[in-house]
Amino acid sequence: MTETRTGADETDPSGRPSTNSDLAVHLDGITKRFPGVIANDDVDLAVERGTVHALLGENGAGKTTLMNVLYGLYEPNEGRVVVDGTERSFESPRDAIETGIGMIHQHFMLVDTMTVAENIALGNEPRKWFGLAVDRDRIDQKIHDLCDRYGFDVDPQATVSDLSVGAQQRVEILKALYRGADILILDEPTAVLTPQEVEGLYDVLEELTAQGKTIIFITHKLGEATHAADEITVLRDGKSVGTVDPNQTSQDELAEYMVGREVLLEAEADAREAGETVLSAADLTVEDARDVEVVSGIDLEVHAGEIFGIAGVDGNGQAELIESITGLMTPDEGTISFGGKDVTEWSRRERIAAGMAYIPEDRHERGLVMSFDLVENGVLGSQRSPEFSRSGRINWDGVRDHTESVIDTYDVRPPDADADAESLSGGNQQKFIVGREFERDPDLVVATHPTRGVDIGSTEFIHDRLLDLRREGVAILLVSSKLDEVRSLSDRLAVIYEGQFMDVTDPDDLTEEELGLLMAGERPEERPVSESTTGTDSSMDATGSDAAFGPETGDTGGESE
Amino acid sequence: MEIKQQPTTAVRAMIDRLSRRMIITGAGALAVVWIVAGFLFPDSWAGVLLGIAASPSTHTATLRLAVPIALAAIGGIFAEKSGVINIGIEGLLIVSAFSAIIVTFWLGSGESTLALSHHWWGLFAGVVASTLFALLFAVVCIEFKADQIIAGLAVWLIALGLAPFVSRIVFDSPNTGNVGTFDNVTIPLLSELPFVGYLLFDTPPQVYLMLGSAAAGWYLLTQTSFGRWVIASGENPKALDTAGVDVRKVRYTAVLLSGVFAGLGGAGFALGQLGTFAGGGETDIQGRGFIAIATYLFANYHPLGALGGSFLFAGLDALQIRLQAAGYAVPTELIRTIPYVTVIVVLVFVGRTTLPDAAGENYESGED
Repeated sequence: MTETRTGADETDPSGRPSTNSDLAVHLDGITKRFPGVIANDDVDLAVERGTVHALLGENGAGKTTLMNVLYGLYEPNEGRVVVDGTERSFESPRDAIETGIGMIHQHFMLVDTMTVAENIALGNEPRKWFGLAVDRDRIDQKIHDLCDRYGFDVDPQATVSDLSVGAQQRVEILKALYRGADILILDEPTAVLTPQEVEGLYDVLEELTAQGKTIIFITHKLGEATHAADEITVLRDGKSVGTVDPNQTSQDELAEYMVGREVLLEAEADAREAGETVLSAADLTVEDARDVEVVSGIDLEVHAGEIFGIAGVDGNGQAELIESITGLMTPDEGTISFGGKDVTEWSRRERIAAGMAYIPEDRHERGLVMSFDLVENGVLGSQRSPEFSRSGRINWDGVRDHTESVIDTYDVRPPDADADAESLSGGNQQKFIVGREFERDPDLVVATHPTRGVDIGSTEFIHDRLLDLRREGVAILLVSSKLDEVRSLSDRLAVIYEGQFMDVTDPDDLTEEELGLLMAGERPEERPVSESTTGTDSSMDATGSDAAFGPETGDTGGESE
Repeated sequence: MEIKQQPTTAVRAMIDRLSRRMIITGAGALAVVWIVAGFLFPDSWAGVLLGIAASPSTHTATLRLAVPIALAAIGGIFAEKSGVINIGIEGLLIVSAFSAIIVTFWLGSGESTLALSHHWWGLFAGVVASTLFALLFAVVCIEFKADQIIAGLAVWLIALGLAPFVSRIVFDSPNTGNVGTFDNVTIPLLSELPFVGYLLFDTPPQVYLMLGSAAAGWYLLTQTSFGRWVIASGENPKALDTAGVDVRKVRYTAVLLSGVFAGLGGAGFALGQLGTFAGGGETDIQGRGFIAIATYLFANYHPLGALGGSFLFAGLDALQIRLQAAGYAVPTELIRTIPYVTVIVVLVFVGRTTLPDAAGENYESGED
């Protein structure tokens, strides 16, 4: 690997790093400590003007912390921030914005009820009448000019909540440009996009750099980094591993840099015959709290020893479908059968008792009580099972033993059963929930985003455990926005769009492009829609490096040579 | 925090059938029947009610009784839109009304200092007292991240105890002495206009203050950048923070504004309508601050809508008072439930009130 470490290595005789005038951003020896953690440890980053620079690393590697330092949200304990050749010390994002830095956060910072124009100008409204009123015409004019210049198509008067996720992201980018940003930081910009929207984003990035803007692109997806970036800096455990040219490295090498060890690239899975039907839903229709139909007449069957995957962009009815199956919502129409019984009217408690394990989408809201310790969290859902409870009293010693075995088996860190759930990192919280649910001895596992926010090593482990359960004859319903995860693990894959299954098929029959089109609600024309087959004769060969790096969503075209 | 709604069958179906239009049509039809019946049978219940409802004195009273409700509601809108639910607005009304009366009394009513009548100094003192209370509430909620509902209740309970306590020290009674009320301000020519002249242009100053505040509140919230920051602070404070606006400052300003508006309402009501302040029981404010909260929810946080809503609830109050005077025993307690019942009906059947997304949530910058 050719390491072109700019920055600290290029020191002038006095020992101080040179400030190259071509560098838009130069972070020099940044160290940021939080109580008990060193989030950034002597990190260097040099970004050339007019380029896309990827900041690659696993969750918790310190990428976002580093960018928050650059954006003025955190003050570094050590190190220098040099922007356009001038050393800066930002007190707040406002200072960073004034210096020409804009940040597009992973969770958009938009006010849903406001219009595009109101959001873009927020905090920076031009005024008229001696400052007594907002000059709306000037905002519209400025947005119009920006759209013309960068080829955006956004209606300033549209309400943000009516826009697609991709359009909201463009509003975020416009917001930064409106403030005069020359350096744009994008935090995991593709996490919520369809493959087609990702392509659109790449076009936008190209247009921006062509016009002299500098982009810093935070990602944990290898394919994206190699595809979109001119240079890649890899972070691991808060330290900078090095800066590489994507054309002179391989994904394997990058992966090793991210993880610090060689990564197992093949997930072994044998073909097997599916067993009897464990879960079935017929003509399921669900309305959300606003009486909008979000699930429209879905039929599905999940068999013993089968992984049934659901792919789709978040917010197309997955959450409501899953919550009706697990008993958190009541469907408006249709029936749900579990183990041959009609369970449509069953409570959540009855479904747990019948052997339905559930890894919820939102681990904070649904999965854990954050202020409980792990022992207390470990018994959640089993608090009435005879194993842990006798005449209303919980057998805490038994629960503790069980919790400790989950912590041990699933490598939850720190391995302390008395730690509060909120003190754990997101990935470890997730491992704990996965462990708790898998150890219920279930007949059905409903797993939504089981590896969200989990690092590569733990992702491999969770995938292996899912395959183990499948081998033991457990039925698994898997929902994930990570395309490679659902593609490589599922025996059958359904694509959901606006509350309906676009297709149910063997995932190997679909190319990534076709999958992307289905997720966007379009049926690929050349392929006849196949009937849902229960056969699982497909080999479960993992699709190369992508499978090991589950967190890769839609790097379409990235590696398709 | 999102509360998932379980669509429970029977009730839900009934509500769906009773659509918004049906309710409005029904209410309209009832009103027409009442007016027709009132004309045909002037001595009947309907006739007496119509007579009172049509009398100019009822209209004048409605405007005056609307003052505390409308101004407290406008104040409450700013606080809640910024994300701080100010349930203590009733306490702010009590504090401002009491302070206004007692300061006017101390200075000596009927006299003036620096060419300004002591009633105006009293009004000023009431606003200052209410704003200081709002500041206390803001510090507790924003600085110390206390639960807003509990802090709001504390403001109310403190005011409820403080007013009669101070009054007992000064007057040896929970009720203050009488200082008289503001004189009407008559605007020449305009007051001669038919129908609206006596109502809008020959009226005590607190009514002008109310009308002006409603317009100013609307302008501030919808036309200025500060208004946008208030709305953003209540919907998504993090978005405002990353846009470089200090959420704390916006929320402090909004809560202090709620103190100023509520102060104008309480002091204006006391000095323009009551002339004295009875601090016993629920005090002379009689829950008007809570009615104000119901009013702005009813108006879906629109300052002008809140003004209209306050006319509706004050009008019912005026009607009830006049019916009592005419010798009809209408239970006051029942009349007082009307605003709350209305709000429940509006929330359930019309469902157009959308609370700010981050209302009631404390915000700390830099927290993920």
